[in-house]
Amino acid sequence: MMRVWMWAILCLMVLVGCTGGAPEGKEVKVEPNVGGGKPIEGTLKVALLTPGNVNDSGWSAIAYRGLKAIEKELGAEVANKVATDASTNDDLRSYAQDGFHLVLGHGFEYNAPAVAMAKEFPNTTFVTSSGGEFGPNAGAFRFYMEQAFYLAGMMAGRLTTTGKVAMIGGPDVPSIRSTFKAFAAGAKAAKPDVVVIEKFTGKNDDVAAAKQATLQAIAEGADFLIHQTNNAAPGFFGACEEKKVYCFGANENQNDMSPQVIASAVINAEAPFVSLAKEIKEGKYVGGIRLVGMVEGAVEFVKNPKAGAAVTAEAQAFVDGAADRILAGELVVPKDEF
Amino acid sequence: MIPLLLIAQYSAPLAFAATGETIGQKSGVLNIGLEGIMLLAAYASVSVGLATGSPWMGMLAAIACAIALSLIQGFFTIILATDQVVAGTAVNLFALGLTGTLFALGAAKGESLSGAPRLPEMLPGVDPVLLLLPILVGCAAWGLTKTAFGLALRAAGEYPAAVESAGFSVTKLRLIAQGLNGLFAGLGGGYLALGLVQAFAENMTSGRGFVAIALVTFGRWKPWWALGASLLIGALEWAQVAMQGKSPLPIQFFTALPYLVALIVLVIAGKGTMAPGALGLAYRREK
Repeated sequence: MMRVWMWAILCLMVLVGCTGGAPEGKEVKVEPNVGGGKPIEGTLKVALLTPGNVNDSGWSAIAYRGLKAIEKELGAEVANKVATDASTNDDLRSYAQDGFHLVLGHGFEYNAPAVAMAKEFPNTTFVTSSGGEFGPNAGAFRFYMEQAFYLAGMMAGRLTTTGKVAMIGGPDVPSIRSTFKAFAAGAKAAKPDVVVIEKFTGKNDDVAAAKQATLQAIAEGADFLIHQTNNAAPGFFGACEEKKVYCFGANENQNDMSPQVIASAVINAEAPFVSLAKEIKEGKYVGGIRLVGMVEGAVEFVKNPKAGAAVTAEAQAFVDGAADRILAGELVVPKDEF
Repeated sequence: MIPLLLIAQYSAPLAFAATGETIGQKSGVLNIGLEGIMLLAAYASVSVGLATGSPWMGMLAAIACAIALSLIQGFFTIILATDQVVAGTAVNLFALGLTGTLFALGAAKGESLSGAPRLPEMLPGVDPVLLLLPILVGCAAWGLTKTAFGLALRAAGEYPAAVESAGFSVTKLRLIAQGLNGLFAGLGGGYLALGLVQAFAENMTSGRGFVAIALVTFGRWKPWWALGASLLIGALEWAQVAMQGKSPLPIQFFTALPYLVALIVLVIAGKGTMAPGALGLAYRREK
C-alpha cells in the first residue's frame, strides 16, 4: 500500500513539474533581428546568472560587483540568480521573456546555451564571461587573466630562494591550465632555471585536499605559490601560513585572506560590464568574443601593501616594468584558446 | 621520505567515519547519510569553534549535531522502517542544503568560516583527537567481539528475530548503534574541518562519507581493518599528490589512483562476503 502511495505521489510530482515549465510545442514567435543599431528607450534591464552564491568572495562575487556597477552607473534595473546545469536554460529563457535587454552568464558553461537561446530572443543580448561561440546578439568575454598570472610568476621567479615555485589547482580544466602556463612563463622569464611545480586536487570544494597538495608542493621546495583552488582556498592559505612561505591570491583580491599573501591576480568585471551595457543601451553591440585584460582594466595585479620586506624594491620594479610593457602592448603574454 | 604522520592525519576523518559505519552496519543498518552527517559536523565544528574560541566546544558541537542527525535518520529507518537508501539520500541532500544555506547567509553578512582555533598539539602534529582514533577503534573492536552487548548488536544485524526472542529490543540496539555511528561521524567531520584546515567550505567532505562506506566493505566489517583500509587510501592520496608532475602520465590518472586501488582490493578481498545477513533490511516486530 505504502509503495502504491509513493508511486502516486511521484507521478503527481512529475506531472506538476511538467506543467510548470515552458509549454512544449507552442510556437515561439521569432521577431526580425533588430539586435544592432537600435537604442533602448526607457530603463535598461540587465540580468546576471552565476554558478555560485554572489557572496562567495570569489568568481561569482566578481560578476555581482560588475552588475552593481551597471546599476549604479547606468541606472539600470538589475536582477541576478544562481543557475546551474538543469536550470540554466529555464533561467536564460525567463529573463529573456521578462524583457531583459542584456543577460549575462558568468562562466564558460553558459556560452553554448546562451548562444542557442539568443536565436529565439533577438531583442535580448546574451553575453557570457568565457566561451568560444557567438551570434548576432550573443557573445562572450575572454578575461586575459594570464597577464596577471604572468606578472605573479615574474615576481615569484625573482624572489624565490629555493629556485622552486608552485601552482596549486582544483579541477584540471583548460582555463586554469592556461593561467598556470602563463605563471610558469613569467617565472622562467625572471629566472630561466626555475623549477615550476604543478599540483591539482581535481576537486573544487575539498579544503583538506587543497591543503595536502600545498603542503606537498612546499615539501618539494616551493617557496612562492599561486593557486586556482576556488572554494578550497582556505586550505591553500592555511598550508602557506603553517610553513611560512609566501603566496598569491587569485581571481578576487585576496590580500587580506592571509598574512602570507604578497599580491593578488584580480579580475575586475566592473569596467567591461559597464562598457558592454552602454553599448547595448546605445544599440551598438556586435556579437563576438571580446578579449579584456589589463589595458581594459579588467585584469589587475594588485600588490599587498602589507607585504613589507617580503617583496624587494628590485623585484617590484622588475614586475612594474613588465606591467608597463604589457599595457603598452610590447609584451604579449601567452594564452591558450579554449 | 614518506610522511607517515601526515598520512595518518589526512586519513583520520575517513577512519573515524568508517569505524562508526562498521558498528552501524553490524547492527543491520546501512547509513548512506554518512556524507551529510559528516558535512553537518564539519560546519558545526568550525562555526561553534569560531564563535566560542574553543576547539573543544567546536568538536563537541560536531559530535552533538552528528548524533542528532544520525538519530533522526535512525527514527525513519529503524522505527518507521523507511527504505535505508532513500532516507540516507534525504539526509545527504538535507545536510548539503542546510550547511550551504547557512554558509551563504553568513557570507552575506561578511562572516568567514576560516581561521578557527586549532586543537592543541601534544606531540608535534599529534592532537588529542588523532590520538583518540586508535583508542576508539580498539574500543569498537573489543566491544563488538568481546562483550555481550556487542554480540546482541551483531545478532541484530544477522538475524534480528532471534535477538528479539532472546529478550532484546532490536530497535533499541540499532538506535544505539546509530548513535555511536553519529559519534564517530561527528569526530570525522569535525576533524576534517576543525582539526585539519580550521575552515569550512560548501560540500567540503567531497565524497569522504561515501568512501568511508566503501571502506567498511573493504575492511570486511572489522574496525581495525577499516582503520588499515583508511590508512591505505590516505597513503595513496598522498602518493598521488607527490607523484604528480614527476611522470608523463596525465593528472587524471593520479587523482583516480586511490579509487582504482580500492576497487582492485575490493575485487580481491570481496570474495566470500562477510556482510551482516540482515544488512539494509528493516525489522518489523509483527512479521
